[in-house]
Amino acid sequence: MCAIAAPEVFGSDEMGNATVLISGDIPAELQAKTRRAESNCPERAIVITD
Amino acid sequence: MTEVRKPVEDLLTDYDIFEPEFVKDPYPSFSEIRESQCPIARTERYDGSWLPTRYEDVVAIAQEYETFTSRGILVVPPFPGQGEGAYGGVTAPPITSDPPDHHWHRRLILPVFSPQSVAKFEQGTRDLCNKLIDEVIDKGTADAAADYAQHIPVRVIATLLGVPLEMESDFTAWVRAALENILDAEGRKWARKNIIEFFLAQVADRKLNPREDDFITELMNTEVEGKVVPIEYVLGVCNLMLVAGVDTTWSAIGSCMWHMAQHPEHRKQLRDNPDLWPTAIEELLRMYAPVTMARIVDHDIEFQGCPMKAGDRVLMAFPAANRDPRQFENPDEVILDREHNRHVAFGSGIHRCAGSNLARLEVRVALQTWLERIPEFELVDKTDVTWAGGQVHGPRKCLVSF
Repeated sequence: MCAIAAPEVFGSDEMGNATVLISGDIPAELQAKTRRAESNCPERAIVITD
Repeated sequence: MTEVRKPVEDLLTDYDIFEPEFVKDPYPSFSEIRESQCPIARTERYDGSWLPTRYEDVVAIAQEYETFTSRGILVVPPFPGQGEGAYGGVTAPPITSDPPDHHWHRRLILPVFSPQSVAKFEQGTRDLCNKLIDEVIDKGTADAAADYAQHIPVRVIATLLGVPLEMESDFTAWVRAALENILDAEGRKWARKNIIEFFLAQVADRKLNPREDDFITELMNTEVEGKVVPIEYVLGVCNLMLVAGVDTTWSAIGSCMWHMAQHPEHRKQLRDNPDLWPTAIEELLRMYAPVTMARIVDHDIEFQGCPMKAGDRVLMAFPAANRDPRQFENPDEVILDREHNRHVAFGSGIHRCAGSNLARLEVRVALQTWLERIPEFELVDKTDVTWAGGQVHGPRKCLVSF
């Protein structure tokens, strides 16, 4: 789901588990999408540190 | 099969999930229970069960798998003799599995449902949807459930499993008897026998003629801890994929079609903002979550003040959780661009639906294709829609005109 909400930020491995594609800070233009992915993750697997 | 149903006098102590009004629209009952002093209702019907309705409680139960086990996940008890006889050992891994076996049961099926894997079904599903629409588009009227929604998941899952698409109506009949008409024990027995015997034959054929790039062949040859997986596991997974992949998804598609027929403003919103589709699908899944899963209590426990006994059935009413105002603002309103949507249509925790990516794809493609070809349509008669209930909630007859 995160990979759909923010495909530039989240990918998935062959098990369908999420992977983070960006190292370092999330660029400003991707932040809204990233926050949406975080607030919609059913497993609360995404943690955003400001 | 007729039966005299004792009327429900008190939802909190005697709910009946098969009562016709509840089947048609469970949400007012969920609301009543959720806002009462007893948000986990109880009934003695169908051998008894508990019905949590708050998001927090449903999610806690889904997460606590040691207390709330998966040895029984159907909303009613097994039919007599289900665990015995030649096929007694066939369950439906991983949905009926508990740790530690659950781990490898689930691991082996995850790759076929990864986002990359399910993307392969996009074009084929779109072609199928277009074909179904071709058959009705000149008629000015169609049954969005029977003529459209119900044909999509069964053909997609048959393709995934590598089983004959021509058997669509057999698969549909078995799935209906296994899951929808769940109170009919004879029907469930009949469906189970047919499904297991069918897959036994599929396995036997692949032993003689192994196929390349074939899900069942790969499953048969998988090793865990140096040993090939037992045949009961292969049969069980196929059983699960067929039943879980079909009734649930066509219910979701059907409910979404029912919604879209009544909301031209949402159809327009999607036309004007195609980027909204992924968020819109999640909102529709929240609002019209089709599935309720059960758990069996492992040991006597007091949960949120309720005295649960070992062996009790607990119904994780995901549709109820998805309408909890404590979790979702304006929970009974479809807000296609809803920002905060941590819904549990696919459950939560170690058993969260493994097929969710495929389900999302099917629902999205089904809706997108219909809306492209038939952008304006409406319900013929709002009072003449029939619904299935129990384990899975969705329309079975939904006439639309265009």
